[in-house]
Amino acid sequence: MRHQRQEEHVGIDLAPMLDFVLNLLIFFIITTSFVKEPGVSVDRPEALTAEHRESGNILIAIRSNGDIWMDRRQVDLREVRPTVERLHVERPDDTVVVVGDKAAPAGILAQVMDEVKLGGVEEVTVGALNAAGK
Amino acid sequence: MRIRRHKRQRPGETTGIDLAPMLDFVMNLLIFFIITAVFTKEFGLAMSRPSASIGAPAKEAASLLIAITATGDILIDERQVDIRAVRANVERMHALKPENGVMVVADAKAGTGIVVEVVDQVRQGGVQNVSFSATR
Repeated sequence: MRHQRQEEHVGIDLAPMLDFVLNLLIFFIITTSFVKEPGVSVDRPEALTAEHRESGNILIAIRSNGDIWMDRRQVDLREVRPTVERLHVERPDDTVVVVGDKAAPAGILAQVMDEVKLGGVEEVTVGALNAAGK
Repeated sequence: MRIRRHKRQRPGETTGIDLAPMLDFVMNLLIFFIITAVFTKEFGLAMSRPSASIGAPAKEAASLLIAITATGDILIDERQVDIRAVRANVERMHALKPENGVMVVADAKAGTGIVVEVVDQVRQGGVQNVSFSATR
């Protein structure tokens, strides 16, 4: 508007800005991964050999008292399998990371891993913090 | 004001498409995606489950069996060992039978923390094929 001193209307050329903004938009659309957060935070165990899971998108948390949380609500052990099946149908590329609290019982961890496999997701990993800080 | 000026300009001069509304829209989309973007770095340890829930006996490929009791003690060959000795034991076994995996059997009441620590030690010892099971 400031440049209107002359008779004609000379606006700022928005095209380059639009190009830039569209590129940013496409970048964010592509990199967005809709992670299914468990809804609780747990005290994760640490491991030096923990690997980065590229598509660890379904997170199941086991609290120290054995409660299982996934998809932002507490679920029963029997609900894990249908929930995993439903999420797996929505996004078949997803893998499951079972995040157990340091004090969570190993029996529950094993049962949850079994239910996830029965739900059709073969790739199950146990979540850990990378102690190496990578 | 701006629109009126535009309209006056029309006869004679070339006018491009007004990009402003599109830019508004795209900007809104962009802000939405920036806000909702979560860059999670999920780290995990892969462990296999021996024939899930069918109860079949473990594959004989797992030659070293590490047991974890409810109190967090670690037993290798019915001998209690320290967490720091796990890696050495695994390395020795791995040197003898490189193709064999390790089986970690935890008591159902043992903590996940100790299980992850033991599996971490086993993997540091060079064995990637770790299976994990828990007693009922």
